[in-house]
Amino acid sequence: MNLRRISFSWLTVFLMLALLTGCWDRTEMDELAFVMASGIDLADDGQVEVTLQIALPTGIPSSLTTGGKAKKPVLVVSAKGKDGMEALGKLQQQLSRRINLGHRGVFVFGEKYARNGIVEAVDTLLRSSESRFNSFILTSSGTTAKEILNSPYQLESIPSIGISNMQDNDFSFSVKTDKFIEMSASLEVSAVTGAIRTINKKTDSETFMIDKSAVYRKNKLVGFLSGKELKAFRLFKGNFNGMRFTVQMEPPKESYKGTVAIQLLQAKTKIRTRIRNGMPEIAVALKATAQIMANDTPTDFNKETNLHSLEKKFSEEMQKEMTSMISRTQNKFKADIVGFGREIHIEHPYFWKKAKSVWADLYTKVPVSVKVDITIERIGRTQAHPNVQAK
Amino acid sequence: MKITGIQVFWMIAIMDIGMTLIMTLTPSLQAAKQDVWISILVSGCITLLVTLITTKTALLYPGQNLIQFSQTILGKWLGKAVVIIYFVQWYTILPIVLRQFTDVIHIMILPATPKAAVMIIMIILIVYVTNSAGIVSIARTTEILGPLIILMILVTLISSINNVDLRYLLPVFADSGLTGIINGAIPPASYLGHSVEYLMLASFLYQPKKGAPYAYWAIITAVFFVLISMTMATVTLGPSLAPKMWYPFFEMSRKISLFGFIENFDPLVIVIWVASVFVKLAIYLFITSYGTAQFLNIKNWRTLTWFIAPVVLLFALIPKNVTEATANYLLHYWVPFVLPVNMIGLPLLLLIVGKARLSSTQAK
Repeated sequence: MNLRRISFSWLTVFLMLALLTGCWDRTEMDELAFVMASGIDLADDGQVEVTLQIALPTGIPSSLTTGGKAKKPVLVVSAKGKDGMEALGKLQQQLSRRINLGHRGVFVFGEKYARNGIVEAVDTLLRSSESRFNSFILTSSGTTAKEILNSPYQLESIPSIGISNMQDNDFSFSVKTDKFIEMSASLEVSAVTGAIRTINKKTDSETFMIDKSAVYRKNKLVGFLSGKELKAFRLFKGNFNGMRFTVQMEPPKESYKGTVAIQLLQAKTKIRTRIRNGMPEIAVALKATAQIMANDTPTDFNKETNLHSLEKKFSEEMQKEMTSMISRTQNKFKADIVGFGREIHIEHPYFWKKAKSVWADLYTKVPVSVKVDITIERIGRTQAHPNVQAK
Repeated sequence: MKITGIQVFWMIAIMDIGMTLIMTLTPSLQAAKQDVWISILVSGCITLLVTLITTKTALLYPGQNLIQFSQTILGKWLGKAVVIIYFVQWYTILPIVLRQFTDVIHIMILPATPKAAVMIIMIILIVYVTNSAGIVSIARTTEILGPLIILMILVTLISSINNVDLRYLLPVFADSGLTGIINGAIPPASYLGHSVEYLMLASFLYQPKKGAPYAYWAIITAVFFVLISMTMATVTLGPSLAPKMWYPFFEMSRKISLFGFIENFDPLVIVIWVASVFVKLAIYLFITSYGTAQFLNIKNWRTLTWFIAPVVLLFALIPKNVTEATANYLLHYWVPFVLPVNMIGLPLLLLIVGKARLSSTQAK
């Protein structure tokens, strides 16, 4: 090796060291403010208010520092601006560390903001290089996003991790950013998100819970599904893990309340569509298997006939709930959240070409029939009569 | 400077895969929607046609490259005119690819880094690899990078499997129709058609006569990987969202979430992309400077790289925004001109005239 060659290779090595170490976008961990959750609200003066929940690394109790009162593990800040980006810029001015959205797990729309239209927020979620597809989208119900992010949660040190774990575990209806944006971009389905609200306000045990889902129509929040209707909707989405139903089987007697509870094991919805006289018709069939969880009637479910009448009763009940859910989306929300449009698109693509631009309005007039068939596979660990004294 | 057949295989395959995957998916999806996979099959056929013409043409005068045999076949002046048409392609693709590379890096990971910094690092790398031993060092690098790139594409695809919703592929054909599918086939075909560079590479082979199967297999491999990757991007993102993104393949990798802790996979795709761009730029820099040197009768082609590199860098800074660099170049020059003229028309012309000339000399 001659001298020229040696000096050239050293020069290359030094150039690499200087240039390849992260470039201009290099940031150290302790220069970043990790946003765990963010929320967007419409303030009373018409401005947009952005709230960030930022993890405080020194506040997270480690196993070494036991005893003593731990510091709050998160910092919650809010600022107003003409739009989300301006508010974010103002927030940056009150933080010594650079805002990093890469670890955001939860994004909350304030109810008022959502009712006024979410186009701007969806655009930012899609455009920004920092936003990730894997964070959960929620809508606050009856409160603001700011309040949600400020409410405490006991089980996890960082409240937003509590929210994202609740969503992750299928206990509640959940939608991730990618799915939400895709629903917003599609003409075949209306967007939905989980809906979060605060409970036990102004008490020590104030916290949040996720027991509703928010329905959007053309990028505006139109209402919430809750209770039985939400259950029926989750069946469509295949998100029924451990879902339970209780039905009044018999009128209450002196020692029995007359109710039976079941838990779903498997459920499958099939949607069939037909075009008749230029108008689509939709038939939904739900096939489910279940097991008995509780029996508070004098009936003995070891007997085939009794089991059949229970299956029938549940099927009727479920059919009622699903029909009422669908008619509510048709008449009140006017939003096709189940995605019947998608099925029509697949089964009748040429009809869809004409119908897709008016589907949002057409949906409200489409007849939907529901058929439910529940099979009870197991009755639990015991064969005994509920009243174990009885023979 | 001699290369082996397997090296040609990797060079053509890698040059095709990365670029087609990142740059042409969006125009294809916009035209063909969920039928993009049919489009890719169609474009695979177009590319095989290009390869057929190219390899046959290269066989006419084994040992000569495009610059030489176009003059042998068409005569001095017409041959030079043909070469100049190819020079326009080569001299414009270099800055455009460099610019596209910078844009992707900017949009996806490093928004604050100056454009010039990203470009200069790449330019230094490709000038170094071309200068060290010309096509031989590029070929050897590709032999190492190639399997790695394939491996990383496979990892990305396999870890996306749980995001797949096959119903996104329905309804087949009805939405796009024949015109949609053909329109969707053209952008990937115009990028996969880089096999035309075999005209330059063939003369460096140890056995130029036995190079054709390697070119075919390279194209088949590239089409296969582009096909499964694009189909995966469609079935993970959905046909309503995917056509709206600049780089759907990246977006697909952003969706990956495994076991709750493997997330944010996009750096892996960046590696695939950077490696593929590197190979492509290096090959083009080599054939451009080697070709220009032969064309102008300059003895040492290496001196030309020092001239071409800064020019490429300057040109790469010209496009004002991402639309100009990516969409306009592709849709207004590459698809309507390069695909029919440089990739099909001229090789076909050379093939027909060359065949006629050879048979007439044999008849005499």
